[in-house]
Amino acid sequence: MKFITKHLRAWEGPLTSDLVQHPGEFGLGNIPRQLTPDATTTVVCGFCSTGCGLRVHLKDGVAINLSAETDYPVNLGMACPKGWEALTPLHSPDRATSPLLKNPATGRLEPVSWDQALDVFCSRFQSILTEHGRESVAWLGTGQIPCEELAFLGALGKFGMGLIHGDGNTRQCMSTAATAYKESFGFDAPPFTYADFEQSDVLVFIGANPCIAHPIMWQRVMSNSHHPEIIVLDPRTTETAMAATQHLALQPKSDLTLLYGIAYILVSKNWVDLDYIGNHTTNYPAFAEFLQTFDTARVANVTGLTIEAIERCAKTIGQGQRVSLWWTMGVNQSHEATRTAQAIINIALMTGNMGRPGTGANSITGQCNAMGSRLFSNTTNMLGGHDFLNPVHRKKIASILNIEDASIPNKNSLPYDQILAGIESGRIKGLWIVATNTAHSWINQSWARTTLAKLEFLVVQDMYGNTETAKTADLVLPAAGWGEKEGTLINSERRFGLMKKVSRAPGLALSDFNIFRLIAQRWGCGEMFQKWTSPEAAFQIMKELSRDQPCDISGIRDYQMIDDCGGIQWPFAQGSEPLPQVERRLFEDGKYYHSDGRARFIFEPTRPVAEPLDAEFPLVLLTGRGTSAQWHTQTRTGKSDILRKLYPANIYVEVNPSDAERLKIKANTQIFIRSRRGKISATAYITSTVRPGQIFIPMHYPELNQLTFPAFDPYSHQPSYKYCAVTLETVARLGLQRKLAHRN
Amino acid sequence: MLTSDESLIEKLLAEQQSLTAVERFSQKYVRTQGHSQQRYYRDLIPLSRPQTGEQYAFAVDLDKCTGCKACVSACHSLNGLDEGEVWRDIGLLRIAEESVAYQQTVTTACHHCLDPACAEGCPVLAYEKDEETGIVHHLDDQCIGCQYCTLKCPYDVPKYNKKRGIVRKCDMCHQRLAVGESPACVQACPSGAIAIQIVSQEALRKNLQPGDRLLPGAFDSNYTRPTTSYTGARPANGHPADGGKIRVEHAHWPLVFMLVLTQAAVGVFVVNGLLLHQPFANLVAFVFLNLGLGLSVLHLGQPLKAWRAFLGWRKSWMSREIMAFSAFAGLASVVTGWGYLKLLPFSLPVFLQRLTIPLTWTTMILGLVAVSTSCMIYVDTRRPFWSLPMTFLKFFGATFGLGLAIAGLGKPSFTLMGCALLLTVSLLELSLLRNSALEKSRAILYGPLASLQWARALLLVLALCSAVSPLVAITALLLAQLIERTCFFMAASAHRMPGGI
Repeated sequence: MKFITKHLRAWEGPLTSDLVQHPGEFGLGNIPRQLTPDATTTVVCGFCSTGCGLRVHLKDGVAINLSAETDYPVNLGMACPKGWEALTPLHSPDRATSPLLKNPATGRLEPVSWDQALDVFCSRFQSILTEHGRESVAWLGTGQIPCEELAFLGALGKFGMGLIHGDGNTRQCMSTAATAYKESFGFDAPPFTYADFEQSDVLVFIGANPCIAHPIMWQRVMSNSHHPEIIVLDPRTTETAMAATQHLALQPKSDLTLLYGIAYILVSKNWVDLDYIGNHTTNYPAFAEFLQTFDTARVANVTGLTIEAIERCAKTIGQGQRVSLWWTMGVNQSHEATRTAQAIINIALMTGNMGRPGTGANSITGQCNAMGSRLFSNTTNMLGGHDFLNPVHRKKIASILNIEDASIPNKNSLPYDQILAGIESGRIKGLWIVATNTAHSWINQSWARTTLAKLEFLVVQDMYGNTETAKTADLVLPAAGWGEKEGTLINSERRFGLMKKVSRAPGLALSDFNIFRLIAQRWGCGEMFQKWTSPEAAFQIMKELSRDQPCDISGIRDYQMIDDCGGIQWPFAQGSEPLPQVERRLFEDGKYYHSDGRARFIFEPTRPVAEPLDAEFPLVLLTGRGTSAQWHTQTRTGKSDILRKLYPANIYVEVNPSDAERLKIKANTQIFIRSRRGKISATAYITSTVRPGQIFIPMHYPELNQLTFPAFDPYSHQPSYKYCAVTLETVARLGLQRKLAHRN
Repeated sequence: MLTSDESLIEKLLAEQQSLTAVERFSQKYVRTQGHSQQRYYRDLIPLSRPQTGEQYAFAVDLDKCTGCKACVSACHSLNGLDEGEVWRDIGLLRIAEESVAYQQTVTTACHHCLDPACAEGCPVLAYEKDEETGIVHHLDDQCIGCQYCTLKCPYDVPKYNKKRGIVRKCDMCHQRLAVGESPACVQACPSGAIAIQIVSQEALRKNLQPGDRLLPGAFDSNYTRPTTSYTGARPANGHPADGGKIRVEHAHWPLVFMLVLTQAAVGVFVVNGLLLHQPFANLVAFVFLNLGLGLSVLHLGQPLKAWRAFLGWRKSWMSREIMAFSAFAGLASVVTGWGYLKLLPFSLPVFLQRLTIPLTWTTMILGLVAVSTSCMIYVDTRRPFWSLPMTFLKFFGATFGLGLAIAGLGKPSFTLMGCALLLTVSLLELSLLRNSALEKSRAILYGPLASLQWARALLLVLALCSAVSPLVAITALLLAQLIERTCFFMAASAHRMPGGI
């Protein structure tokens, strides 16, 4: 036997040696020999707003692999699967490698030169503008590209091309938080730093599932050494709810009532910080008065919770020493979203849980640069968080950019939903979409697609030429993606992180920044952007734009400084201490950005949902993130074999067992989901993590938004993706059932 | 100042291709030895090496696992695996009852079993349970790509890598452990849910209770004695999210042909040897046999290494099958040739003529033994559909059914008997299928494979009706058996760790 073992068994050889590891240096420990880098550098991740540092392994300057950055203060050596796979989508065969122009004869997109693409771009938009005026062309931007590119796009659109209307997909995720903060604090200023996750003794998550949506933030919660109470307000038993000490599974869209109900108990039990209220806020007496109608019995009735559960939650908050409240899309995507976010802010204010470690009313952002979009996209706000309606602001920006005051519109952009409405009514005839996928992600999708089809000219600028939206474009501009260009991204805790150029863009793809340069020149406004020669040059302009604003970053020297510090949170004004502290939170002095220095209590009676249930459509459709391996419309995560292994390939619907039994729905069979706007089929997944009367479908599957109802928050104009009325239908015919099963 | 349009396009395209990260930002990232991540996993790996009677094992704390799945990505990236290749999987446990809302992500890799079934099945001894660490290694250069281990492992751990033509699997990052670093999954888990611990093999063996399983839905641990431990509160009635999901398994085409053709060949030799004594039938069988064995090589990822297949004969039914069929093929060629000796211009010496009967019988018996080893290959996987009665019924049904039909070439009575036998077998199969353990296989056979069942039934009836035209009947029977064997593979629902939605 020993003879056999020794001589007839191949212990070594070419296949074995492919997996042989050796010390990778750069602190990487053992790594496979063929992946040995000759340098490494840290790049901030380009998926979500956590803003993790990824250590990219380079060989001859090109990224060959990556791992999580050990020392980056955000993620402390960890990353979620999307981060680990960040390089993979860059090499997809679906990349757009040259400009594509629709051939009117065939209706197909065909490759053209940049020269021709620029000609078409400028001549078509210019002719529409000449004929129909400045409001007839608009753009829809994104939270996925760096600040410098967003600022360039915004300045080019409004000051160079003379457009009035531009908005971004951040309307779909963060506009509620931005609106709420602006009204409550006087500036769009998420106050927290991630260390707060570790320092709280009570953490309240409202409409948030960080275990799945922000796993690396959840890592910080897990490392909280204070044995915190974790309260989750969510209709579903999400992964986060599973990890909670208190889960309040409230009825969908009863969150505002519940939050007012909690505030009512806090007031009536005197669990409020009257000193803080007196010194740092206004309008509290009216708020306390308003709360009187939210007695616990009524709140229990509306929310479907027990009085005990509500009282226990309020008591935990009221008696906590360091209470932090965190929210995301469950709050932001609602018909009364802004007031709900403000109800959270109110709780933090009234209990004095602001400005101290482990406290705060904290909006967790969605996209990697939603925060940058909020400050620098020149859409809702003027560059640097300024106001288009304020002549002093217009003058300031004009003088920094060295342009005429008159080049700056003195009116606000239309929000996303109104831009689409403008297309439908024929007022807007040209649209430029940059790095977003409207035809997949917009609410009431069939309407959105019909509306886009009405455009005279649609330009889509994207990494991929085959997104649902790009396929409908007249012109596709091929963009370089994350890792193929430089720029800064701002994460949820206001930290500027640096994106670096570590991979070559395919074919003729160009960074969005350089596409804007080309357009500026061809449009005839190149002169205006003479100083915008590189992202870092644009960053220097951004510093000036931010000066004396709450988001002042004039103290950040350059990219090198951001890199050296592991990211830098705003504000960091010129004249600040030589190096910023690693983690800083806002409002430690209790001074808010309103002119009186005080935060406002803002509230409003609750309103019924826009599409109530009825006999024909008796179920609530909830939507949200499916898994940590999926990102939004999957244009990138769908390109990674590894990520695809980590989520179901086809659309599925979660149904409660009692509903399944009543409707005779069998597990893993195809069923139809019908709303007033459409009908789709999905695999039934029977689980009690959704309550009876509710179903859940992840947002990543393109069919989903055929069902959703176009309700919007009146203040933030954010779509309410989280509630619409639907019904379930089983597939009656066995043959069809089999056919559908087979297709999956 | 911007220059002309054309040159700006050229300039920016060139600029896009120049990578700047190294020259601009690499100064901070000097070459340092060691592993900077060490501070995060220091408590998650043992300080010492396993002593005699001990081994390394994965320890998963489910209370800490929140479902981020980073362990899978990290395993792929840090081990330099091929596109789409991972050695760690993710599943989900849940409760379907209305009253309890529960879900729990589970992460699973190789369990580095005390009695690894993969190693037991490997015909070339490409598995080695490390004496010191207990890690079940796969010798990539020894592997012939027969994929039997992928059928043997009740946890679906070894994965066939088509590009390389071999199986690969988790080696617990033994090269990292050897230098005091943690496996990729351990160092990548944001909540420290995966650890490496040292376990006593003796204690593990002793503490196993009948019916113990790693997680709900996992295979009985008493089979391979997996070493992974899953801790954390979990309700007793949790079950895998993919519990009711139908997964059609691989068809393994070369094996389908190999099994049907070799069984037909054995059957012909047996029927012919007992009843007909026709040299031509043996010749036909010999062609079938070699066609079948030849096609089976297509199933191997590394056919040139297949000569080692005898190495595992002590434990591996695959090894035994290969040896049995090799011997059978040798004897069969002699017997086939023997039949034509009378064509020689002279007659054989008497002592040689006396050998005819022992030779024929030895060949027949060896053929039946070879078919039995084929059966045992599948029975030994412990898949419910591949139970001993089902597999022997199918394989010997095919052996004698096809044997009768083909050996009796030109004799409608034999063809008719063959058809009748195969029809009976298919009916017996139906009764065996009623076993409650075969719920998933039934769902596959009557669901996505329903049309194949109908085709098989129709072909059998067609064969019966056309028994007078033996060629038509035999063709129909062969097709029916190929369909039967395809379904044999596709409906053999595999044991797995809990899977996802």
